Amino acid sequence: MMSLSLPLMAAVAVLGLLGIGLLGLLVTRNLIKVVVGLQVLVKGALLALLLAGRLSGQVQTGQTLALTVIVADTIVSVVALALAVQVRRQFGTLDLQALSTLRR
Amino acid sequence: MFDLLIVAAMLGCAFQAVRGTRLLIAALWLAGASALTAIMMFRLGAPEVAVIELSVGAGLVTVLFVFAINIAGEEPPVTLRSLVPAPLAWIVALCAVGLGAAMALPNLRVESSLLQADKFATVLWEHRSLDVLLQVVLIIGGVLAVLGLLAEGRANARKESQ
Amino acid sequence: MPDISTLAILSIALPWAGAVLIWLVRDRQPQLQHALAVVFTLAGAAAALAMIPQRSEVNVLDFPLGSAFGQVTFLPDGLAVFLAVVATTIGCLAVVFSVDYMKGEKQLGRYYAYVLFFIGSMVGLVLSSNLLLIFVFWEITALCSYALISFYNDDPKAVTAGIEALIITQVGGIGLLAGALFLYAYQGNYDVPTFLAGADRLPPNVLALMAFGFLVAAAAKSAQFPFQTWLPDAMEAPTPVSALIHAATMVNAGVYLLARFYPAFEAVPNWKLAVVSVGAITALMAAVMALVSNDLKRVLAYSTVSQLGYMVYAIGAGGIFASQFHLLSHAVFKALLFLSAGAVIHAVHTRDMREMGGLGKQMPLVKVVMIIGGLALAGIPVLNGFWSKELVLEAGHEGGPLWAWLFMLVGAGLTALYTLRFLTMVFYGEPRSGQHVHDAGPAMKVALVPLALGTLTTWLLAGSFGHFLGKALPEGHDVESTGALLLQVATAPTTFVALAVVALGLAAWWQRARLAGLAHSLRGIGTMASNSFGFEAINRAVVSVTEASAESLRTTHNGVLNWNVMAILVGLVVVLAILALGGA
Repeated sequence: MMSLSLPLMAAVAVLGLLGIGLLGLLVTRNLIKVVVGLQVLVKGALLALLLAGRLSGQVQTGQTLALTVIVADTIVSVVALALAVQVRRQFGTLDLQALSTLRR
Repeated sequence: MFDLLIVAAMLGCAFQAVRGTRLLIAALWLAGASALTAIMMFRLGAPEVAVIELSVGAGLVTVLFVFAINIAGEEPPVTLRSLVPAPLAWIVALCAVGLGAAMALPNLRVESSLLQADKFATVLWEHRSLDVLLQVVLIIGGVLAVLGLLAEGRANARKESQ
Repeated sequence: MPDISTLAILSIALPWAGAVLIWLVRDRQPQLQHALAVVFTLAGAAAALAMIPQRSEVNVLDFPLGSAFGQVTFLPDGLAVFLAVVATTIGCLAVVFSVDYMKGEKQLGRYYAYVLFFIGSMVGLVLSSNLLLIFVFWEITALCSYALISFYNDDPKAVTAGIEALIITQVGGIGLLAGALFLYAYQGNYDVPTFLAGADRLPPNVLALMAFGFLVAAAAKSAQFPFQTWLPDAMEAPTPVSALIHAATMVNAGVYLLARFYPAFEAVPNWKLAVVSVGAITALMAAVMALVSNDLKRVLAYSTVSQLGYMVYAIGAGGIFASQFHLLSHAVFKALLFLSAGAVIHAVHTRDMREMGGLGKQMPLVKVVMIIGGLALAGIPVLNGFWSKELVLEAGHEGGPLWAWLFMLVGAGLTALYTLRFLTMVFYGEPRSGQHVHDAGPAMKVALVPLALGTLTTWLLAGSFGHFLGKALPEGHDVESTGALLLQVATAPTTFVALAVVALGLAAWWQRARLAGLAHSLRGIGTMASNSFGFEAINRAVVSVTEASAESLRTTHNGVLNWNVMAILVGLVVVLAILALGGA
């Protein structure tokens, strides 16, 4: 029987976080909630990187890559949030449906 | 067993963060998920990144969320109906996760012996210096973008006041 | 004297540098812009000419770009240097002509910047020996062509024509790109000389795919059947641009491509036949269309299409030398024809030949040089067009099927006929427009005279041209001296047959009144020809189908993030499912 080992639990966490993040991106209609979904998604990716580093015996490389991802993700979130604030000021809404200009 | 508890709590927090209708609450749930992720990282043998995740992911980003939500103002908490039918979204997301699990889980080998004996700092500064450069560029770019966005808002405000 | 690799870079970089400078000058100082354009194209032409004695059969200049793109390499052999010289010198003359032609136009900077950008890219296209780089330059020339066709961007016709040219040449670009990627997949790099040296190492079906992909690319670029419609429409461009891009250089890129890769594709079954058919059909069809058009520039455009058909036909028949020699003659006399047509159009402010007539008295020099060019086009002896066309016909008689040769003969007769027609309509008869006609400006004349001299003399280079092309010619081609070559042409039976047909064409024009009954019975063909044999209708159908499908697909692009994520996720699920099933 496959024991509840650490790698298994980490893998479950990765898959769960990715699934929840994607689900969030699919169902939300709020621009800020989109950023929340992205954050969840990226946390899954971070754990996946560390897990891969651990399984291949290159923990430190995994860590450095995770660090880069954290930096990139934080910047993305910051810019996205600033954008959301401006969108709210300009258009008065954060609803994706209302913001779409391609509708006919 | 400890890991199982953490993972369960983490997934629960993440789900609440995605599902909740109030933005501020969602941001707090996200902070919780982030903190639990940091513990998981620590368990995976990555203490440096765990600390950074705890301070940046759970700390800084949460503060920014609260800031942004305050400035932008809470949307009226009526639940707008999702554009993608919710059952469809669930099915597709579960399909993706299920397929990923079917492919990944049987291949989880027993962890190999630690080949890399270098310290985190050595690897970061010496082997992956390009990453560091990239991070610096990213940070500068992000700061410029945020400044630009805020300046635009001010310019617009000035235009309106005239 | 700088070495060959420096010269190769200079002949690309000088026009490009000029383009940037002219663009920086902005439009407040038109005199400076004119001067800069002339100076930089002259310098580029000088650099290209200086490559002639130093040409090499191996790659020069190896500049690595990493494993995915291969090396930036240039192969300045005879074929490449020849085309580089044609592009830069005719480019230079067209720019000199533009000094008068474009005087007082707005947005000169945009005009000159694109022209110079084009000249540099054309040189890059012929010099580079990395297939991916060839593709990049190929697309840059298409882009410049588009921008210059649509130069008068407040005229909807010009804009439509530009987009049409861009889209049709893109279809060809796909063929070239596919060929390049196949080469990379099976050879591991994009190096053209390696490919040419051992094309049989590739699997035959891949080689065939590449060969026909390149044929599509060449046909689209050189306006060959069934892609010929864009070139006549491209005549909305300023006339110097038509002379440079749509007669003397860019449209030759397709012919160049076929000639360059002929050694590799020669053995592909049916490829040569396909090339011959494309050339023959195009040559005849375009000649008929030239006969019925009333727009001076469109007549010249159809005749360009037709003459390009001759070159493609010669390549299919194995006559690389004949095709390249005809390319040289055609580049010179067609640039001359276009530039003198530009002078005429500039003078009378219309392109409709029915409103011209009797212009010979007002513009004596233009009349003389245009008649020289026209006679060369018709293939009248001792002008360069005569020798090269006879060489093409001879090569076709030896290496191509008989029906194609007969097509070409009829095409030669028609060429003579329509040449006389447009020369008469422009320069003889009664003046039909009452308006004042002013003669060509000095810069125009400066550009016209060298081209006229070239039309009279380039055939003397026949022998040395053979030496010059050297190894670019397929094996077994024995290089002959000018005298021997000319004697051979002058005594070959095909020459007399062709001359007889040309004479017949001329006679048909003199006796046109008596042939009225015949002309009447052929009116059906004439109507079809003036409707470009239904190809415009096909184009319109393609456009409307594309638009309709785009409109119906519009609902899938609703701009809502959720659905976009949904599409990504479904794609992911599909990929994972394929992987899971394939791995099981």
